Amino acid sequence: MSTSSCSFADRCVSILCCRFCQQVLSSRGMKAVLLADTETDLYSTDIPPTSTVDFIGNCYFTDICKCKLKNIACLKCGNVVGYHVIAPCKPCLLSCNNGHFWMFHSQAVFGINRLDSSGTKFLLWGNLPDSEESTDEDISDISEDEYIR
Amino acid sequence: MAAAVAAAFGPGLCPAGPLESRVLAYTLHRWSSFSSTYLPENILVDKPNDQSSRWSSESNYPPQYLILKLERPAIVQSITFGKYEKTHVCNLKKFKVFGGMNEENMTDLLSSGLKNDYNKETFTLKHKIDEQMFPCRFIKIVPLLSWGPSFNFSIWYVELNGIDDPDVVQPCLNWYSKYREQEAIRLCLKHFRQHNYTEAFESLQKKTRIALEHPMLTDLHDKLVLKGDFNACEELIEKAVNDGLFNQYISQQEYKPRWGQIIPKSTKGDGEDSRPGMRGGHQMVIDVQTETVYLFGGWDGTQDLADFWAYSVKENQWTYLSRDTEKENGPSARSCHKMCIDIQRRQIYTLGRYLDSSVRNSKSLKSDFYRYDIDTNTWMLLSEDTAADGGPKLVFDHQMCMDSEKHMIYTFGGRILTCNGSVDDSRASEPQFSGLFAFDCRCRTWKLLREDSCNAGPEDIQSRIGHCMLFHSRNRCLYVFGGQRSKTYLNDFFSYDVDSDHMDIISDGTKKDSGMVPMTGFTQRATIDPELNEIHVLSGLSKDKEKREENVRNSFWIYDIVRNSWSCVYKNDQAAKENASKSLQEEEPCPRFAHQLVYDELHKVHYLFGGNPGKSCSPKMRLDDFWSLKLCRPSKEYLLRHCKYLIRKHRFEEKAQTDPLSALKYLQNDLFVTVDHSDPEETKELRLVPSAFKKHSPPFSPLPGFSDVDHIYAQRTQLFDTLVNFFPDNMTPPKGNLVDLITL
Repeated sequence: MSTSSCSFADRCVSILCCRFCQQVLSSRGMKAVLLADTETDLYSTDIPPTSTVDFIGNCYFTDICKCKLKNIACLKCGNVVGYHVIAPCKPCLLSCNNGHFWMFHSQAVFGINRLDSSGTKFLLWGNLPDSEESTDEDISDISEDEYIR
Repeated sequence: MAAAVAAAFGPGLCPAGPLESRVLAYTLHRWSSFSSTYLPENILVDKPNDQSSRWSSESNYPPQYLILKLERPAIVQSITFGKYEKTHVCNLKKFKVFGGMNEENMTDLLSSGLKNDYNKETFTLKHKIDEQMFPCRFIKIVPLLSWGPSFNFSIWYVELNGIDDPDVVQPCLNWYSKYREQEAIRLCLKHFRQHNYTEAFESLQKKTRIALEHPMLTDLHDKLVLKGDFNACEELIEKAVNDGLFNQYISQQEYKPRWGQIIPKSTKGDGEDSRPGMRGGHQMVIDVQTETVYLFGGWDGTQDLADFWAYSVKENQWTYLSRDTEKENGPSARSCHKMCIDIQRRQIYTLGRYLDSSVRNSKSLKSDFYRYDIDTNTWMLLSEDTAADGGPKLVFDHQMCMDSEKHMIYTFGGRILTCNGSVDDSRASEPQFSGLFAFDCRCRTWKLLREDSCNAGPEDIQSRIGHCMLFHSRNRCLYVFGGQRSKTYLNDFFSYDVDSDHMDIISDGTKKDSGMVPMTGFTQRATIDPELNEIHVLSGLSKDKEKREENVRNSFWIYDIVRNSWSCVYKNDQAAKENASKSLQEEEPCPRFAHQLVYDELHKVHYLFGGNPGKSCSPKMRLDDFWSLKLCRPSKEYLLRHCKYLIRKHRFEEKAQTDPLSALKYLQNDLFVTVDHSDPEETKELRLVPSAFKKHSPPFSPLPGFSDVDHIYAQRTQLFDTLVNFFPDNMTPPKGNLVDLITL
């Protein structure tokens, strides 16, 4: 487990493109590993990429943790490119995480490192402005309305 | 022995001939757009494991299309769509297919949708007009909706099947050209006659020998338009009606609902004992032989009921069968149970109930199952817990149907009641639904036919609550539609053949032709008429409080099983109701849910009782009103009277222009008798008729145009066109008009 450093400021900022149709999906990608399975390579981002991807299918859970997930697909080609963490589980929240809830599979996207204003060095997350948007999630209570008689 | 020989030689007698359908070669001719490497040509190859082997549009903004050009003209009988090996959001949920000999002039061949799965789907395309096959050179596929509404459209593979043998196609092509020419000539003939270009009409008819219409209608035209012999017209129409010529028109007319509130006779004043009180979630069945409606249980707003009633239609009276069935070894008080009747053996079964979460425990959650014997007036406990016998667990909002012939009961769906206390894992609290079970009444054994599944395979069915299930006693199929699972309203419609254990999807719910099919989420009640092959659906109030404010409240739908089509008999909207006076409120039942509807298919009457009006201000209010509903179509007698009215009204108008005094007499006598004076609309219309006196327009004003047609000729022609509408299509002149083909 690479939890030795919990800072992400020195990570490169990548442009994420769909491997299937080359569509740019996000300009704020970070190469990351899965907390629950550090073998899995992926990219993540902080701002919801709502103009480039959309949800598909139903929410699901994986075998490795109890995060509630929903797949996202590229709006252009419709292929699944990753998932959104709808509700993170406690162990994942407590361990060192980058605070990103939008994940992209490395088999589905490729990243191009962005350059900073000098045009010579890679742009680092520490030099990126924070996102002002927050994901306002509508986790509505799914209690059954038993209005039947 | 002879049969074996015939079988052996059978296939040899029909060699693969020119009529055999085969794969048709095509090229991509034109397209609206494509994105990335998803080129239109990709649909020529079927590679379900390659995500890139597809056409994908650049946007989902209409119009998006592909036009395929066939190698040579062909009768295109079917289209097959291949798909990706997994579900894909770009699959076409809704699309249309057009075809024609050229790109500009295409006919609608198909409107449908694909399932979001990996199975190939084949659709029959329209390829006949009047039983005659027609050829196409171009096929246009127009995607309308993808499975993910924000995604682009993708088509993975398209195969066209049909006949392209020139020996077959060429005659069809000739026929098609001839057909178009013939229809063009008929349009000309109609136009010429309408405008009184007599010489042109006669010479065209003489030259082509094409009939504009059936001789009987030519006769009608002659008598009505040319001669103005109105008495002879009436005679002709009367004969046509008596010969059954209007039957086709009548069968195409929509039903009109006729609601009647039933005020039962009471012997002991209007006391509690004379009729069932307010309730929802009760059950009703009807014995059509004796015309008796049985009603049991329900929820009166505060408690479950155990009273049991019978209503005799002939006597117009309710009879108390039992005040408390539990005291007579019958079921305890309950609501949201289900009941079905075996009319042959005169027995009623009841299964399931709803229990408040506070009273649920391992003892109360047993699914008891009772049978009532009508003749001996006794209850019998068939099972203390059907789950222990291999049947359903305790459920509510399920459906139950009786198959008297084979002495079987089918029950499907319903939510399984569980103890709330024993939940340790949050995921286990997800609602569970009961599958499809069969109960053999003779052996008293249960059999699970289908478990609740997510429609994964072609024979799988998804369980639900609040759906409709009906048994068609003649074709021996169960019909299931609507309902909900948690917050999801289901739109699918399928049949299940009880003898072959096979299910058929009638509609997977993807065709979102809103307004064309009953809306789900509304507490629909359905009945079936096996003789007429119709399913009736009364859709009431939404259980969903937010949807309750929507305009459409009561609506009545009829599904024609043979034609596979829905029609809406009526809808009433909230706005009309709010403005209406109180008297109008009593003309039909107010919208509601948790009510009961039964159908007497012998006498063609529905009966509705009680329910919950869903008033948020008085949540405990339940209804005790009782209604009958008859569906009526215009009768022969009505049509004849109506035609006479139209003819006489016209005759009056002609008279009014020339001889007002005799016109007035005519109005008071001859016209007056063709009006049903009990019908407010007809009498209102009659009152407007004398306005013909006030018309200042000159009686013989020529029509705008080049012909010398006078006003009377034009009016008579209009009446002729109206009358012709009642005759079958194969007798009438073409419906369209030549001038309407002119676009500006």
